[in-house]
Amino acid sequence: MKIAVCIKRVADSETRVKIAADGTSLDEAGVKFILNPYDEFAVEEALRRKEQAGTGEVVVLACGSGATQETIRTALAMGADRGVLLESAALPADGLAVARALAAELKDSGYDLILFGKMAIDDYNHQVGPMTAELLGLPCVTCVAHLDLADGKGTAEREVEGGMEEVEFPLPAVLTVDKGLNEPRYPALKGIMAAKKKPLDVKPAALGTPGLQVLAMTPPPERKEGRIVGEGAAAIPELLKLLREEAKVL
Amino acid sequence: MSHVLAVLEQRDGTLRKVSHEVVTGARRLADALGGEVHALVCTAGPVAGVDAASRFGADKVTTVTNDAFGPYAPEGYARVAAERAKGGGYGAVVFAASAQGKDLAPRVAAKLGVPLAGDITDLSVDGGAVVVTRPVYAGKALLKVKVTATPAVVSLRPNVFTPVERPKSGAAETVAASGDGGRVVVKGIKAAAAGTIDVAEAPIVVSGGRGLKEPGNFRLLEELAQAFGGRAAVGASRAVVDEGWRPHGDQVGQTGKTVSPSLYIAVGISGAVQHLAGMRTAKVIVAINKDKDAPIFKVADYGVVGDLFEIVPVLTSEVRRLTSA
Amino acid sequence: MIPSQYQPPLPLDRLLIKQGSPGAGDSMELDVLFVGAGPAGLAGAIELARLAKADASVGELNIGVLEKAEALGEHSLSGAVVNPIALRELFPDLAEQDLPLRGRVEREAVYLMKSGSAIRLPTPPTMKNHGNYVASICEIVRWLGQQAEALGVNVFTGFPAAALLTDGNRVAGVRTAATGLGRDGQPLATYAAPNDLTARVTALSEGTRGLLSQAWLEWQGVSSENPQIFALGVKEIWETKRPLDRVIHTLGWPLPGDAFGGSFCYPLEPNLVALGIVVGLDYKNAALDIHVLLQRLKSHPLFRRYLEGGEMVEWGAKTIPEGGYYSIPARRSGDGVVILGDAAGLVDVPSLKGIHYAMQSGIYAARAIFRALQRGDTGSAQLAEYDRLVNESFIAADLYRTRNMRLAFKDGFTAGGLKAGLMTLTGGRFPGRRIAMHADADAARREMRDGVFAPDGKLTFSKVDGVFKSGNTTRDTIPTHLIAAQQVPADVARFYSHVCPAGVYEEVDGKLRINAPNCVDCKATDVLGPRWTPREGGSGPKYKRM
Repeated sequence: MKIAVCIKRVADSETRVKIAADGTSLDEAGVKFILNPYDEFAVEEALRRKEQAGTGEVVVLACGSGATQETIRTALAMGADRGVLLESAALPADGLAVARALAAELKDSGYDLILFGKMAIDDYNHQVGPMTAELLGLPCVTCVAHLDLADGKGTAEREVEGGMEEVEFPLPAVLTVDKGLNEPRYPALKGIMAAKKKPLDVKPAALGTPGLQVLAMTPPPERKEGRIVGEGAAAIPELLKLLREEAKVL
Repeated sequence: MSHVLAVLEQRDGTLRKVSHEVVTGARRLADALGGEVHALVCTAGPVAGVDAASRFGADKVTTVTNDAFGPYAPEGYARVAAERAKGGGYGAVVFAASAQGKDLAPRVAAKLGVPLAGDITDLSVDGGAVVVTRPVYAGKALLKVKVTATPAVVSLRPNVFTPVERPKSGAAETVAASGDGGRVVVKGIKAAAAGTIDVAEAPIVVSGGRGLKEPGNFRLLEELAQAFGGRAAVGASRAVVDEGWRPHGDQVGQTGKTVSPSLYIAVGISGAVQHLAGMRTAKVIVAINKDKDAPIFKVADYGVVGDLFEIVPVLTSEVRRLTSA
Repeated sequence: MIPSQYQPPLPLDRLLIKQGSPGAGDSMELDVLFVGAGPAGLAGAIELARLAKADASVGELNIGVLEKAEALGEHSLSGAVVNPIALRELFPDLAEQDLPLRGRVEREAVYLMKSGSAIRLPTPPTMKNHGNYVASICEIVRWLGQQAEALGVNVFTGFPAAALLTDGNRVAGVRTAATGLGRDGQPLATYAAPNDLTARVTALSEGTRGLLSQAWLEWQGVSSENPQIFALGVKEIWETKRPLDRVIHTLGWPLPGDAFGGSFCYPLEPNLVALGIVVGLDYKNAALDIHVLLQRLKSHPLFRRYLEGGEMVEWGAKTIPEGGYYSIPARRSGDGVVILGDAAGLVDVPSLKGIHYAMQSGIYAARAIFRALQRGDTGSAQLAEYDRLVNESFIAADLYRTRNMRLAFKDGFTAGGLKAGLMTLTGGRFPGRRIAMHADADAARREMRDGVFAPDGKLTFSKVDGVFKSGNTTRDTIPTHLIAAQQVPADVARFYSHVCPAGVYEEVDGKLRINAPNCVDCKATDVLGPRWTPREGGSGPKYKRM
């Protein structure tokens, strides 16, 4: 099976967010960068499918700055065969621009599956996967939490409000994957060493002109001071009134 | 002068409530752009409740039918929405960032060759351009973004754009769409077993800590959760998960889940930072604890000091009354 | 109450495994393995890689560095004010601004503290920091790691070494810890078996209270004149509204009169301040809580004025070997093994320096190892070259000069201060004879409670808050890694709860309760209480700029 996995280098979820001097981006001092956790599920799925098929290739692609090579190496250490970095000093806020760059690289490459994590934990955009599929003219299923493949077709389960949606699709296809699809492996020592020797091509990213402009990044509004509503069960009516009329959550 | 296309959502022939928010958001945009709101819904048959669109501000409501459009048909819906958006010269297209919307909006945007500003929590128009706000870094920062392409395709975070009644004519029409549903076929939806709503997804979370004294007492919280009518899940602090009282899947905070419900009720939880880290982004936090100096009261919006064994049952019966009203 | 009576012995049967024993999944052969990617291990790897590149006689060397933290620097913690000498030796061509150091120390002050006031003291000669730099050991380690990888060194993060592999009397390598075990020790879906790494020479650069170093010394019967003694440092980093322009050290309050130690406050940047308290673990009050002492320290006007309105961004803790010259093992080399840095006790307490000694010892180890590889002989006699290099260097000279200073304080602060003053004046000659010292765990203690500490959440914080800020996200279902005695009486459980800065131990209903995931690997527990063993890779804190 020939599988491509598109990954992203993101700031660790425990990052204390400080806004950079330019007022529009994250201050990266002291920030730890990792492979986007949802992408780990995608890499793991690709590796398993290739192992099941017995032969094939898993290629990891990423759009990002030069430092992203480290992230690609992590995927290579997990077992991917080679990597491609579409280099761009800064990633645009416009997911379509990223999709364009990826689609240009993926076009006509004969992949059976192209996998993405459902979203990146930094921008929560949820869009590059399906957009890339659209540009490639391939079928796409998002947020896949369970997957069966057989005879050039696939069945996926994805979470929707109130339940799980069952979807059928033909291959080749683009899938974005959700937590719970599998349990990603830790890179083995040998894998870490081997990763250094695996091919990693760096090319410029053909992003095009972004259609979104970040005006500002600001901290969220301060939580208002809380207060003790009262003591004992007697405070319940007042609490419920506040929840309904003031907080508007009931 | 630009019109706004509002893409609505139906399930099993009934309009989903989130569509009211979509029309409300579209109405705000249209007012600022000086245009109309044209609502669109794809379906196989008639859609119950679609008339609500006019109540919330739709000038026109178009129901697009196709035999394959009963369940969500990603490629068919995307084709229709993109054709409509292109053909109508719309200034903006609005979706809900629901499960369906998160799947559909990117496809439509890509078809139109424009970006998607997704999961937004605020919108405005500045100098003719749509400006949106969206949370990033798990809500630790807000991004203000200007959409420089046309149409501006946006999706609204659910439960944020409170529906506002702005009655308009809502001229209804039904149009048949040609073609099929596409290569991706939805076979059906398996309903989640009752009472198994996940702590990380529930709009209301009732969480318990060591103050409950015994695992059996979690029954009190289960009853309170049930009183909210299927919208609430029961969470647990790390202390009680460590004791084995509750499964790890229920743990909130510090390597357990991070939850962001509209309402978080912390019962008998002191508020160790590890727990707080998991629920800090909840919209409203209520704390019930017998120790008035418990750290949780510093984070809670509303606190009740007292014996939880007295308070929780009363809260449960009051909530039951409210929900059944 | 004497802590050593409740301390289980080192589990040597787990720590020393015959090479070839079953139990490992993968195995890997290296030429040289450094255990611990701290300044010592990384400096050693860099120097060795350079030597191999410059001299083709040993061919291409496969050098590995094992690190238990998930990423470089995450388990490294220090003050720190660093003497740049070792960095300059390793990187002579780099300009000052290219070294991973923060600002040069321009101003410094030493205070004798009392509750509510502080008396400025003239800076003792041992503590003068002119020419030294404020630094973050995390930043140094990350930078050294990049240099090492650029030279082809394999740095493996997330792999704790859990045992030594032995071949007769020789150290053949290490076995790593298994990952993915459940609380009951059963393998989970993510289970990965331990790995065996064999090497011609294993350099133990594990840092303070290194487990495998202890095991090797005990196995080989290598001792020191005094047992090693330790201090526990608890440290925080604050973003402050008010800038700090000097390096500050304090003595006295809030430490009790019979405890040795003091506090430090260093500007990483004018508004990014590292502060902490360091206390010798032979203190007499069983209820002494060093984390609480730090919290109290912050309310002193001297510190409060900087911290008010600011935000604590990191918290952490680590022990420091304090025994100095007389606690260094008689030899730090053997068949196939050398011991570097803090693991060998190469720390000078009076000047609070250890990082440059660690790096320098790494450099010497690399040279000795390279010679050994050239000769095809990695036996004890050949590797003793490393000991010779250290003994003839400024490392030994510095430590010898201050050999009794810390030890003088075992009789109390005033007497100690007097003796230390004399030693400084006489360059260590008087009092010159070794002052005998006992191990920390053998020091008797009595519970003398002194009030309740209630954190305010703004200036002072609870241990749990601290652990959160250490970046610790250890899996809650992890099996416990701490070996406690079978029966721990309530007063000993209480003692442990005060010893551990991370709240791992609690006394609940008269019994000891262990919250193992809280552990930040400071090793205080290993010194005074339950024995520490490594957990799966990536557990523990995630220090960023500590």
